[in-house]
Amino acid sequence: MPGLRIECDVLVVGGGMAGATAALAAREGGARVVLASKAPGSTGLSGGAVSVAQDPACMPDTPFAARSGVVESARRIAATRPGHPYRLLRDRLDRLWNAIEFATGQLSAVLAPPTGRNRWILTPFGHAHPAATCHRTMAAGDLAEVRGTLLVCGFEGHLGWDPGLVASGAERVRSLGGPASRHVLLDMFRWEDGALGRPFDLARMLEAPGAAEEAGRVLRRVLARGDAAAVLPPVLGIDPEGRVADRIAAEAGIPVAEFLSDLPSVPGLRLHRAVEARLAAAGVEVLRGEVRAGAGPDLPATVGGREVVARSWVLASGRFVGGGIERRGELREGILGLPVLASEGPFADPSIRFATRPPASLTLRDSRAPQPLLAAGLRVDDALHPLDAEGRVLHPRVFAAGAVVGGHDPASDGTGMGVAMFTGWLAGRSAAGRDA
Amino acid sequence: MSKVRSYAWLAWRAVVPHPLRALRRRGTGEERFLANYAAERLAPTSLDARAVAEAASACISCGLCESGCALRSAIPAVRSLGLHAAFRLHAKSDEMRAHGADALAACASCTGCEPLCPTGVPITRLVRLLAAR
Repeated sequence: MPGLRIECDVLVVGGGMAGATAALAAREGGARVVLASKAPGSTGLSGGAVSVAQDPACMPDTPFAARSGVVESARRIAATRPGHPYRLLRDRLDRLWNAIEFATGQLSAVLAPPTGRNRWILTPFGHAHPAATCHRTMAAGDLAEVRGTLLVCGFEGHLGWDPGLVASGAERVRSLGGPASRHVLLDMFRWEDGALGRPFDLARMLEAPGAAEEAGRVLRRVLARGDAAAVLPPVLGIDPEGRVADRIAAEAGIPVAEFLSDLPSVPGLRLHRAVEARLAAAGVEVLRGEVRAGAGPDLPATVGGREVVARSWVLASGRFVGGGIERRGELREGILGLPVLASEGPFADPSIRFATRPPASLTLRDSRAPQPLLAAGLRVDDALHPLDAEGRVLHPRVFAAGAVVGGHDPASDGTGMGVAMFTGWLAGRSAAGRDA
Repeated sequence: MSKVRSYAWLAWRAVVPHPLRALRRRGTGEERFLANYAAERLAPTSLDARAVAEAASACISCGLCESGCALRSAIPAVRSLGLHAAFRLHAKSDEMRAHGADALAACASCTGCEPLCPTGVPITRLVRLLAAR
């Protein structure tokens, strides 16, 4: 009943990958968990890859097979990146794989099981991206696994995806053990007035009975000898129950996969929906709305008009997209009022109170240098307790997880989902009183 | 040296000709705006419109709102433009605005878009205001 106070063991703020993993990990131990979510965050904008760690020590011309595994790569990041959450949690990195398996297992309706090594998935921009796992609909496009020619498809007359550019990403890594590739345009989705279908519309159209089969027949007509797999634009259905990729593959007689997505992202929405469905099935109470008047554990907070009192809190409110870190003149954390710090580049020294500087001064002109602004977030200790301005633990039962934690740049360093899953899993277990 | 001269020139302009011009000024701010910019078909911004534009500036063009937006009554050409393209066209001049008008007219006011916005843009308010223009 609305208006009634909810008393629970754990309040998770944020419904992205970090918050969901924390809520599910806490729930697994039997805790009563409430999750506050105001809108989809950057998990809902993700392109389909689950990036955990890519080996910083290996040369770009090292063959796929010789690159180290995901956990080993995370250890190398911990050794070389002083502010990174993997560094902070280096004594517990042996649990990283437990966290990844837990989170991907919870979302197994959408995510393919991780194998321990990175898969190589094509981006829409002509690169191959290493990811610990990816959507099930993308697994057949792993460049390290395709034996034969990879057929990259676009849609005739549609400007949204350029199969030639996508295929150039495969050519780039061919000498490292990647497959040969060629690209074609499929004659699909053409309307009389020349309009272009929006990605979400195309995905829904393919879910309709018969539509994926028709797409499979179009694909079969352009197949040539030696084609081992086909990758299509990332619009192969929003609901995994629609089994669009499987239906196309069955009709065409060749494994079918998507390449990664740009925005707007169908895979992002697919993952977001899967997260919400899993939370509901696991018995996590999801409240819609912003968290207001929240002062921390044992004190009432208002979430979408309901009063919630929780024994412990997990702050998984995201960074700039999710709104966990706000940029209003200066950087600040909006819910508990925690200080914001960056820990890369020239701002690595925590004694520099940079949060009061205008955000524009925290970017560097060299686009390849670590950008302090993009690594901005909360400082936490090795138990994921957020620290206040004096470096003290704010509260023993407040934890932070995901992009709200500073020191890594989820947009570019290829560890965003990994940090979300690992810190979410650890924080959720700790918040529920389980050993992490 | 030229830097010093430039700053001196700017300072002189701020102290002498600029206040003199202010004395000669005629008409309200709106009249002066129209005199200067009506030829370019730019309309003055009301306070209301400015508040909405500021709220809209939180848009990160992620396109998630589109997944909740059917634009059901629109012809495919307008649908492919999408509602959020309509906002962008509105930010330009009156002439550009006409292109976005079809998309705005096709909005069914279903409010399916707003809860999907990660950055909290008040999309329905925005559409209502733009459509009223």
